[in-house]
Amino acid sequence: MSRCGRTAHLEAVALGEASPTLAAELRAHTKSCALCRHELNWLESESALFRQRAGRDEVAQLWKGVASRSGLETPPRDWPRVLVAMAAAAALVLMVGNAAPRASRSADGSPGDETLESSMLMTPAFFVEEESCSKLPSGVGFQCSPVVPASFLASR
Amino acid sequence: MLRLLQRTPAITPETPDGALVQRAQKGESAAFKALFERHVVGVRRFLRDLLRQGDLADDATQETFARAHAQLAKLTDYDRFKPWVLGIARNVAFEARRVRQHDVLEDDDDSTPTAVIPSPDPERVLLDAELEKHFTEAMGTLSGNRRAALLMRLDHGLAYEEIAAAFGWSIPTVKNEIHRARLKLRAQLLPHLTGERT
Repeated sequence: MSRCGRTAHLEAVALGEASPTLAAELRAHTKSCALCRHELNWLESESALFRQRAGRDEVAQLWKGVASRSGLETPPRDWPRVLVAMAAAAALVLMVGNAAPRASRSADGSPGDETLESSMLMTPAFFVEEESCSKLPSGVGFQCSPVVPASFLASR
Repeated sequence: MLRLLQRTPAITPETPDGALVQRAQKGESAAFKALFERHVVGVRRFLRDLLRQGDLADDATQETFARAHAQLAKLTDYDRFKPWVLGIARNVAFEARRVRQHDVLEDDDDSTPTAVIPSPDPERVLLDAELEKHFTEAMGTLSGNRRAALLMRLDHGLAYEEIAAAFGWSIPTVKNEIHRARLKLRAQLLPHLTGERT
């Protein structure tokens, strides 16, 4: 190591812990002091090596092991609560929406429009082809458009 | 229901360690997990450097944080989580090494060289695979305590005072150990950094 009295402060410069004033003063000193210049070069090289090593780190998923040893569960976060609340609200809206037509049907004893609509839409026979797709030339694709029966439209 | 709706302050990267420690001490596991996520990389690297074996380092890292969680109530200086957890890691590593019984536990040879010229150019230092191998070998020649002190200072940026507190050493002892570790590391790495390979 060098024997210059300022050597002890060089570490703070290399590690970025020195004040800007002190750092500037010591860097200026190293221009005229070969011992301190070499010392600072080494300290900065050493620091660069450690920094480069730190940048390459990979960490496995270690939390599970810690959690199991410590009896910690995965902590709940706030956003799932919001999602749960939103899902519950949506479910409620759907339930109310579905309950309304059933009530109207039971009132007059016959299936309402909504019931007809949903049941018909689920039935393949509801779709009436203008022309059988199998009769179309190949490559014509997507010309078989479903047609809503006129009787159904009239009932609306 | 009200407890469900009660919101705790969000944990962000800006939340200081001290605040996380206090929340974790009150039983908030998310705060402890945040501390874990913030420090696990450094702790694992520290343990890998001490143990020199990746799989052992993983297990030791988990053990370190499990102990930290168990002993968290003892941490009264909330802002010093990092030196505190590195101190626990050091103990875990030494215990693991005692089990393995093939590592240097006593202080290494103090006959270190003093000449250090020429010096490398810091801007041209590149840690390639070969240099990393020499680096690892050089670190391996240091005794456990000396290596741990050096790593805490240079790799983890702890102040001498923090290292002294973690080790239970005096500050002059810490400085002396780190100085000697540096000299040894330097003597072994310098030829590879200046092209004067032997």
